[in-house]
Amino acid sequence: MNKKVLVVDDDSDVRSFVVTVLEENGYIPLQACDGVEGLEKIQQEKPDLVILDVLMPRGSGIRLYRQLKTHEALKALPVIMFTGIAMRSFLKSQKALEAFNGGEIPKPDIYLEKPVEPEELARAIDTKIG
Amino acid sequence: MGVEKILIVDDEKIIVRLLSMSLQSDGYETITAGNGQEALEVFKAESPDIVITDIKMPVMDGLELLRKIKEIDADNEVIIVTGHGDIDSTITALQYGASDFINKPVRDEALAIALERAKDKIRIREQLAGYTRDLESKVAEATEEIRRKSNFQKLLIHASNDAIVAFDHQWVIVVYNPAASRIFNVPAKAVLNKMTIDDLYPADAARIFKTTAENGTGKKEMPWKEMTLCLAPDRCFPVRYATSVLHEKDEFVGIVNFFQDMTEIKRLEQELVQSERMAAVGQAVSGLAHYVKNILIGLKGGSYVVDVGMKKNDTDKLKTGWETIKKNIKRVADLTQDLLTYAKERTPELAPCAPNEIVKEVAKLVSDTAAAKGIRLILKTDPDLGTGIADSQTLHRILLNLVSNAMDACTEDEDTSKDFFIEMSTHALDRDRFSISVADNGCGMDEETQSQLFNPMFSSKGGKGTGLGLLVTEKLVEEHKGTIDIRTRRGKGSCFTITFPNDAGSAANIGQGG
Repeated sequence: MNKKVLVVDDDSDVRSFVVTVLEENGYIPLQACDGVEGLEKIQQEKPDLVILDVLMPRGSGIRLYRQLKTHEALKALPVIMFTGIAMRSFLKSQKALEAFNGGEIPKPDIYLEKPVEPEELARAIDTKIG
Repeated sequence: MGVEKILIVDDEKIIVRLLSMSLQSDGYETITAGNGQEALEVFKAESPDIVITDIKMPVMDGLELLRKIKEIDADNEVIIVTGHGDIDSTITALQYGASDFINKPVRDEALAIALERAKDKIRIREQLAGYTRDLESKVAEATEEIRRKSNFQKLLIHASNDAIVAFDHQWVIVVYNPAASRIFNVPAKAVLNKMTIDDLYPADAARIFKTTAENGTGKKEMPWKEMTLCLAPDRCFPVRYATSVLHEKDEFVGIVNFFQDMTEIKRLEQELVQSERMAAVGQAVSGLAHYVKNILIGLKGGSYVVDVGMKKNDTDKLKTGWETIKKNIKRVADLTQDLLTYAKERTPELAPCAPNEIVKEVAKLVSDTAAAKGIRLILKTDPDLGTGIADSQTLHRILLNLVSNAMDACTEDEDTSKDFFIEMSTHALDRDRFSISVADNGCGMDEETQSQLFNPMFSSKGGKGTGLGLLVTEKLVEEHKGTIDIRTRRGKGSCFTITFPNDAGSAANIGQGG
C-alpha cells in the first residue's frame, strides 16, 4: 500500500512542487497550508511522514513540530523540515523555547533548506519511509 | 564703665585736697599733681579718665598741660578751672580742645555737672568705639566670606569643562577659563582684559552675540544652540553654546558665553550613522537575497512541475506549474519596479482627479482577492471631497500597497474567529488638505515591528515580503507632499492614514521655494 505524506506549507507554489515530487515517487500526497490545519490533517489522516515549513501563519512550523514531538501518540511520526530558514536559526529557536518551557525535544530527523532539487527531496523521503 | 580715675592739678595744695576729698566721697578715684610738668608724668603713668586742671601754675601751666595731654590722647576729657575774666586763656584752652570750664571758686554743683558731661562724652565715645570695632569685625568677616565665595567661583569657572568667556559692557574679555583657551587656542594672559570680542571671536559669532545683547534685554537666559566656530580656514569645529546677557538695574553690564566642543560627539554621531547605514545595507542585501531565493524556489518548483506535466501529458500539472512560474515572474517584475521606484527620483504627474474615485477603483480591483480570503471591504467616501490636483497613478499605487498590507495583516492573524474587514475612507480635512485611511482588524504590530516599518528591506512577512512595500509607499507619499500616520495595536489591527494637499502642485512649489 502506498504511504501517505503530508506537506504543511503556506506557499501554494511549494505545495504543488512537493505534491508533484510525492506523486512521481509513488506516495499519496496530503496538503495543509498552516500549522493548525496541519495538526488536524495529521490526526484525521494519520500520514506516515510530515514535510513541514517553519514560517507560516496560524501556528508556525516551530509550534507544530513541538506539538508533535510532545504528543504521546504522534512523537514517533517522522518529520522532514523543509524551509527557507537556516537550520541554525531553527535550532536556536528550539533551544530558547526549551530553556523557557523545560524539557528537551529531539532534533528534526531531516532538515532541508530550500531550494532543494526534486531528487534530493525524494531521497530524503525514501530514507525515512521508503 | 568702672570708677573714673580723675587727675586733679593745682599748685594750691589746699584746693587739691578739698577737691580730692569731695570727689572721693562721690565715688571717684583721684590722683593729684602740683603743676603741669608733674601732672604730665602722672598722666602718662596712670592714664586717668578725666583731668581737672588750674591754668596758672609754676613750671608748666594748665594750657601747656592741656596741649601736651591732647597730643598724647586727643579724646581725653580735660576740664579747665578758670578765674573770672580770663577770656584769653579760655579761648586758648578751647583751641587746644578743652572739654569744659568751671569758674573759680569751684562749686560742687558746677563740678558735678561738668563731670557728668565728661562722663557722658566718654561713654558715648566708648559706645561709638564699640560699634566701630563691631563694624570692623563684621566687615572683615563679610570680606572674608566674599573672598571665599569669589575664590570658589573662580575655581568653578577654572575647572569647568565648558568654555566660559565673559565680556564687560565694552566687550572686553573679563572671564576666560582654561576650557576656553583650549577651544580658542590663545592663552588666558593674552586675552584677559586685553582682547575684545572682535579680537577673539570670528566675525559672524561676534555679530550674533552683539545682536543678542542688544535684543536680549527681556530674556536673560537663552537655550543651548549649535554653531560652527571657524577660527581659521582649517580650524572649524562644531560647538554648542549658551548665552547669558547680564544686567544690573536694567543696565547692560556684560555677556557670558558657554561653549561645548562638539567635535568628539559629532564624530561619534557620524560613526553611528555610518554603522547604521552599513547595517541597513547588510539587512537590505540579506532581505533581498531571501526574497530572490524564494522566487528561485518558486521558479524551480514550477519548472519541475511543468516538466512532469509535459512528460505525462498532464494538462493540470502543466497548468499548475505554469501558474507558479508566471506568479514568480510577476514577483521579479514587482521587485524590479519597487527597486526602481525607490531608487529613482520621480516628479509626480499632476492632473485634476477625484480621490474618491481612485479609492473606489482600488476597492474594485482587490474585491475578489479580499472575498477569497474572507475579508469584508468597507468603503466610506466623504461626499465633500471633490477634485484635487494629484498624480492619480501615485495615489493608486499607495492605496494598493496599503490595502494589500491590510489583507496580509488579516490572513496572518492567529485569531481566525474574527470577522475580518478592511475599511477604506476618505476625508476632506479643510480647504487645503484631504486624507485617506486604510484600517483593518488584522494582526496589528508590536512596537518593535512598528519601529522597523520604514527600514529598508525589513519585512514582517518572513521571506514573503521584499521589505520594500512600505518604503516605496512612504517615498511616493513624500513625493506627493503628503504625510503618513500609523496607528496599530498587536492583535487589534492597524490604521494607516495618508494626508495630502488638495493641490499637490502648489504645495510642491511652496516646498521648493522654502
